Amino acid sequence: MTRSALLVRILAFVGVVCVIALLFWSQNPAFLSTGNIRALLRHMSVNGLAALGLTFVIVVRHYDLSFPGVASFGAMTMGWLIAVGQPLAVAIGGGLFVGLLFGLANGAMVARFKLPDIVTTIATGGLAIGFSYFYSNGTSISKNFFMSGLLDINDGRFLGMDRPFAILLGAALLGGLILHGSRFGRAFYATGENPVSAYYSGVPVRAMIAAAFAICGLCACLSIVLLVASSGAANVSAGTQLLMPAFAAVYLGSALFGRTSIPATLAGTMMMSLMLNGFTLLAIPYFYSDAIVSTVLILAIAGFDPRVSGAIRAALSRKETLA
Amino acid sequence: METDSFLSMRGIGKTFGDVRALREVDFGLRRGEIHALLGVNGAGKSTLIKILSGVYSKDAGSIRIAGEEFALGTPRAAIDAGIAVVQQHPELVGDLSGAENIFLGQESERPGFLARVDHAEIRRKAQALLSRFPIEIDLGKPVGEMSAVDREIVAILHALRLENARILILDEPTSTLTEREKQSLFGMMETLKAQGLAIIYITHHLDEVFEIADRFTVFRGGRNVATHRVDEARGGAISIPNLMLDTVAGHVFPPHSDRTDGQVVFEARGLGRTDEFRGIDLTARKGEILGIFGLVGSGLDELSKTLFGVLQPDTGELRLHGQPVMFRSPAQALKAGVFLVPGDRRTEGLSMQEDVVFNTTVANLGRASAGGFLRFGRNRRDAMALAERVDLQPRKLNRPLRGFSGGNQQKVVVAKGLYRQSDVYIFVEPTVGVDIGARAKIYGLMRELSETAAVIVMSSDCDEVFGVADRCVALYKGAPMGSPSRDLTRDHLLHAGIMGDPAR
Repeated sequence: MTRSALLVRILAFVGVVCVIALLFWSQNPAFLSTGNIRALLRHMSVNGLAALGLTFVIVVRHYDLSFPGVASFGAMTMGWLIAVGQPLAVAIGGGLFVGLLFGLANGAMVARFKLPDIVTTIATGGLAIGFSYFYSNGTSISKNFFMSGLLDINDGRFLGMDRPFAILLGAALLGGLILHGSRFGRAFYATGENPVSAYYSGVPVRAMIAAAFAICGLCACLSIVLLVASSGAANVSAGTQLLMPAFAAVYLGSALFGRTSIPATLAGTMMMSLMLNGFTLLAIPYFYSDAIVSTVLILAIAGFDPRVSGAIRAALSRKETLA
Repeated sequence: METDSFLSMRGIGKTFGDVRALREVDFGLRRGEIHALLGVNGAGKSTLIKILSGVYSKDAGSIRIAGEEFALGTPRAAIDAGIAVVQQHPELVGDLSGAENIFLGQESERPGFLARVDHAEIRRKAQALLSRFPIEIDLGKPVGEMSAVDREIVAILHALRLENARILILDEPTSTLTEREKQSLFGMMETLKAQGLAIIYITHHLDEVFEIADRFTVFRGGRNVATHRVDEARGGAISIPNLMLDTVAGHVFPPHSDRTDGQVVFEARGLGRTDEFRGIDLTARKGEILGIFGLVGSGLDELSKTLFGVLQPDTGELRLHGQPVMFRSPAQALKAGVFLVPGDRRTEGLSMQEDVVFNTTVANLGRASAGGFLRFGRNRRDAMALAERVDLQPRKLNRPLRGFSGGNQQKVVVAKGLYRQSDVYIFVEPTVGVDIGARAKIYGLMRELSETAAVIVMSSDCDEVFGVADRCVALYKGAPMGSPSRDLTRDHLLHAGIMGDPAR
């Protein structure tokens, strides 16, 4: 994409964000209060981390539907480790390890054995949810949470930012460096764009696919750590709310910026969180906001697909010529 | 043109973007004849067939069948006009029986989702159709368990299931058949011909033309260059190979090299893969270009992939700098110093959505990065230097590859190879869809490369191989016709590759 086209898209994004913010602000001035912006950014952190991991999988043109289940399993693993008195670092490490392990398993099945990604990850996600019941028969875990220091992850501050947002920015920086600044990023994109030509260029295509799934699992579990820290309890359905916002963020970002990338995903997440937060503030019931998020996701997919956007453009111009 | 044609196509034109696939083509087909269509890849014969079968719509010209004008344009319209097509690789459902495949899509007389499929009726109708031919096959058997020729016959019966079929198009039906299987297919074609059907038969094998066809038409560069009766061409009165190939202007090719003392870089000894190619002995030296000519189906494509590690040989060995090597993947071949410029650049050579810098550097990410991080400035400078060396037009490094012409896309693939700095360069079909100016540049680059590396060019274009290579050999049905030689004439090479006569 040329520089000027990119600039136009960035300006358009900023413009849309401003319009949405103004709309909500006009309905409820509390929308732009410091407290609400901080809440918004914390909310964005959880969804943003999950979306960051998913970005890698989308870049290699695959799908991961297991990460919500894996995140639940990660949450319960971490909760159990804290409850049995393990130090916080071990507990978080355990939760992240679960994500990495499931991600690698997904990657191996999809890349090495060429199993269909959607069905495979639905299955592994179901498996992970099943495992998450083992620790407590499905009841939520919060024993020792207060003493462990876990809640500080949500409440603490870092360089003037809330910690969750600092973690998101750190992860995004690292992810951006890998995907856009390193040779591995090139290999991820080459794998997604044209796996045959990537293979002929010596790119380890299977390893890149496996790595993308592993990163996705890891990020989902990192995101669930933040979620558990903010809610103060680990439960078996913790991850289910990650699925749609993450997909919506990646696709919305792609639609906004013309291709899947880390900045695009961050922008998509921000847009989603802005809307969800605004609806909450306006006391719109959550099932309406779910419906709105889903609608946005469908529009984003349509916008991302050149065939659909081309058809819309053609239909519009036809209408113009008729009129 | 003849007036007694059953099918008469006149002044047919078809353009894709800025490529004129067909121009002013006249074509006539009679009832009860088998008419062979000949031509190298890209000559226009498949475009003509796709217009007849309604896959493409024509841009210009008229089509008449039995005197009646047809627009065609959709597969449905072609079927209604009585045109039946058997694709090169017919799509049959392996789990269903032959009879069920023949009537796939019209299992029941009655419409509707719940209409019962009458298996007995289907079997009876399929048998009735089959009984029109002197052939015995078991139509109750799942197609997946049938032999290649039985599948082909099922595909033909599927095409002929409609009562109104009067023109049958067979697209390279023999490509997967053995010699004996071919005879039973030819028997079926003779019967159809006797029943008054008009048959268009596409093939790459000239011997089959003499065996089965009544007339043939040769396509070249989107035009019908000649239509003759087969008996006119018998005895060499008309040279079909010469009709098929363009006379390429000599100045496209760089001067040949006389060096024979170059260091041996890459060797193949007795290389073979079952049913694909066998007994390949090659020696690629620095300072000269080695050429291999072979038609589609000659095993050329598989050979190139075996040299690059995409496929593994069943017999024989490869040597690089005198050491035996075994490539299990392209990554290993690249690491050892072998680079392949693949025959299909869109699917094997390039990421079409990515820009020039990305594509130039992607085969050597180690060189493009330091400590794992990309060196953006240097990569850009390197890509610019290579773009200048291959004369990329326009020199827009940020432009996605799909925005370049075919010739310039191919130049980027070459630049990608140059960036890799390999010891062996294998070019497969290097100038398909490449305009004449870019062709000369690419041949010049091959010559330039041969100064420092071993260069092998493999192509189904005889003149290209003969023009650019210093030593040539033809591959015919998987076997090399002699060993690579410097003093082969173009006609020898051509006949060896098309007819299979070993050179002297």
